[in-house]
Amino acid sequence: MIAIAIILTGIGSYAMRAFFIFALARYTFPPVLLRALEYVAPSVMAALVISMMTTPEGELVAGSAECAGLICAALAARYSGNHILALIAGMAVFWGVTWFN
Amino acid sequence: MNTTPTRPALRGCLDALPLFIPALPFAFVFGVVVAEAGIPTWLGWSSSPIIFGGAIQVTLFTLIGEGASVAAAVSAALIVGARHMLYSVTLAPRFQNQPSWFRWVGSYVLIDQVFVLSQIKPVDEPAAFRRYFLAAGFTFWTLWMTCTALGVALGPQIPAHWRLDFAAPVLFVSLMMAASNRPDKLGAAAMAMALTYLLAPLPNRSGMLIAVVITVVIMLLSPRKVNP
Repeated sequence: MIAIAIILTGIGSYAMRAFFIFALARYTFPPVLLRALEYVAPSVMAALVISMMTTPEGELVAGSAECAGLICAALAARYSGNHILALIAGMAVFWGVTWFN
Repeated sequence: MNTTPTRPALRGCLDALPLFIPALPFAFVFGVVVAEAGIPTWLGWSSSPIIFGGAIQVTLFTLIGEGASVAAAVSAALIVGARHMLYSVTLAPRFQNQPSWFRWVGSYVLIDQVFVLSQIKPVDEPAAFRRYFLAAGFTFWTLWMTCTALGVALGPQIPAHWRLDFAAPVLFVSLMMAASNRPDKLGAAAMAMALTYLLAPLPNRSGMLIAVVITVVIMLLSPRKVNP
């Protein structure tokens, strides 16, 4: 049963990734749609962050340490453009604030 | 803005490496979930090549471990992964002037980090885009196969109180900032955050997807102030 669940999920997740790539392979995108697609990347990343900070029931689990870490990571990414630096800054601030609390 | 790197395959590998760091603790979380669900390690690990999506795999085994039916666990896992359809739409124009084998293979490695790399490091020339995309995708693939194998073999070796799992939201904040290279895109990110929070009580994290769709529609309908 578990093997069947894995295979079904594998087929489903591949189909979700491939569907539009194949369906729209010969489709001419109108400029308005191309403009809409520009907003997908920032929106999905933002939604993922909030999703990771909430329980499956929808409760936000972000204290001062989490918020401080995420804000520092955002600033570090903005001004350095370096993801490693942003990661180090975010984790350092998060651990620092956790330590002091 | 669009550039064609001289060695796109190497560039893809190198760009992928730092983005994998937060997936490392996640591979161990995956190992713990497989162990707690009482699933044989090899069977649990087989989901890495078959599904290749961390959050989808963890959701599937968490629900199976809680005694959910196959239908319920599979559909919940697929709803969690439904954002990949947005990646598929967004990248469809880039896959048009490509050979069809690349559509088959490229779809398989279309994960969060590879999607965002393709958005923040746009490569114009089709052959270079293909090499960059596949190099980044299969660098992740190789690392994910290796690390989930270690994860299921070693299980809970990293103490939970270190909170290494927090590296994942930190990375995605950083990726969000890189993808928000215009004020209107930053506005879209802020709106998506607020809407995701408001819709968070919806089951199986489906609120996240609805939030993104609403955000994109609102951004499209709002008058454009920035003309690049």
